[in-house]
Amino acid sequence: MSKPRTITQGRPTVLIAEDAVLVRMAIAAYLRDCGYRVVEAASSDEALLVLQHSAQPIDVLFCGVHVTGALDAFTLSQWTRKNRPQIKVILAGAPKSAAAAAGKLCEEGPHLAKPYEPHVVEDYIRRLLALQSIEGSS
Amino acid sequence: MEDEVLIRLHLAEELRDAGYTVCEAADAHEAMTLLSSLDRVRLMLTDIRMPGGLDGMDLARWVRAKFPEIKIVLISAEYIPETSAGFDAGFTKPVRIDDLLRCVRRLLPQAELGN
Repeated sequence: MSKPRTITQGRPTVLIAEDAVLVRMAIAAYLRDCGYRVVEAASSDEALLVLQHSAQPIDVLFCGVHVTGALDAFTLSQWTRKNRPQIKVILAGAPKSAAAAAGKLCEEGPHLAKPYEPHVVEDYIRRLLALQSIEGSS
Repeated sequence: MEDEVLIRLHLAEELRDAGYTVCEAADAHEAMTLLSSLDRVRLMLTDIRMPGGLDGMDLARWVRAKFPEIKIVLISAEYIPETSAGFDAGFTKPVRIDDLLRCVRRLLPQAELGN
């Protein structure tokens, strides 16, 4: 695993919705080392609760495409798009067949495949937040 | 380990702010997976009431048997009888963060804190 790069501006919050605990823990630990605040959800139900009730604003939703729970990953992404449009959504771990269906639900399609490389995830998040910052200032 | 996500993230965040490295588990099976995979866990904080087949007491017994060096702190909505052998400390909800941190510091006096 490459050495984490420390973020220099603010402390964005990433919500990870992933039911594989070891995968979730590895990504979360890496992002924390980079300086992000990370909220962990073990199911879509937990993620939805956090999105609805967390006092801390969420900047990025990182959602495993096979996350368990009452909502599937696509429905959770749709809900987020509709109700929290400021949140950037990353669907990850998708097989190619799911990518087309998910295209409009997330920022750049679910082409982060498992096993996730933490530094690739972090690059992704960094890029999305930079775009968000540019969009916000224009 | 705590299944109520908002409570779990609050407790985890407070412990991280205090300098501890915290791994989160949503149920007993996740906790067992983490404990079997990590070799630096020094303390487990768990709610007694948990979803699924195993509750916090079952988990505590499993940890005591497999990892006797790990300190165990139980949280419950109800009074925890002192006869519940095999744990190091217990809290009744709602947990006061100051009390929890004092307890963790007492149980892990030699902990090397990050941050």
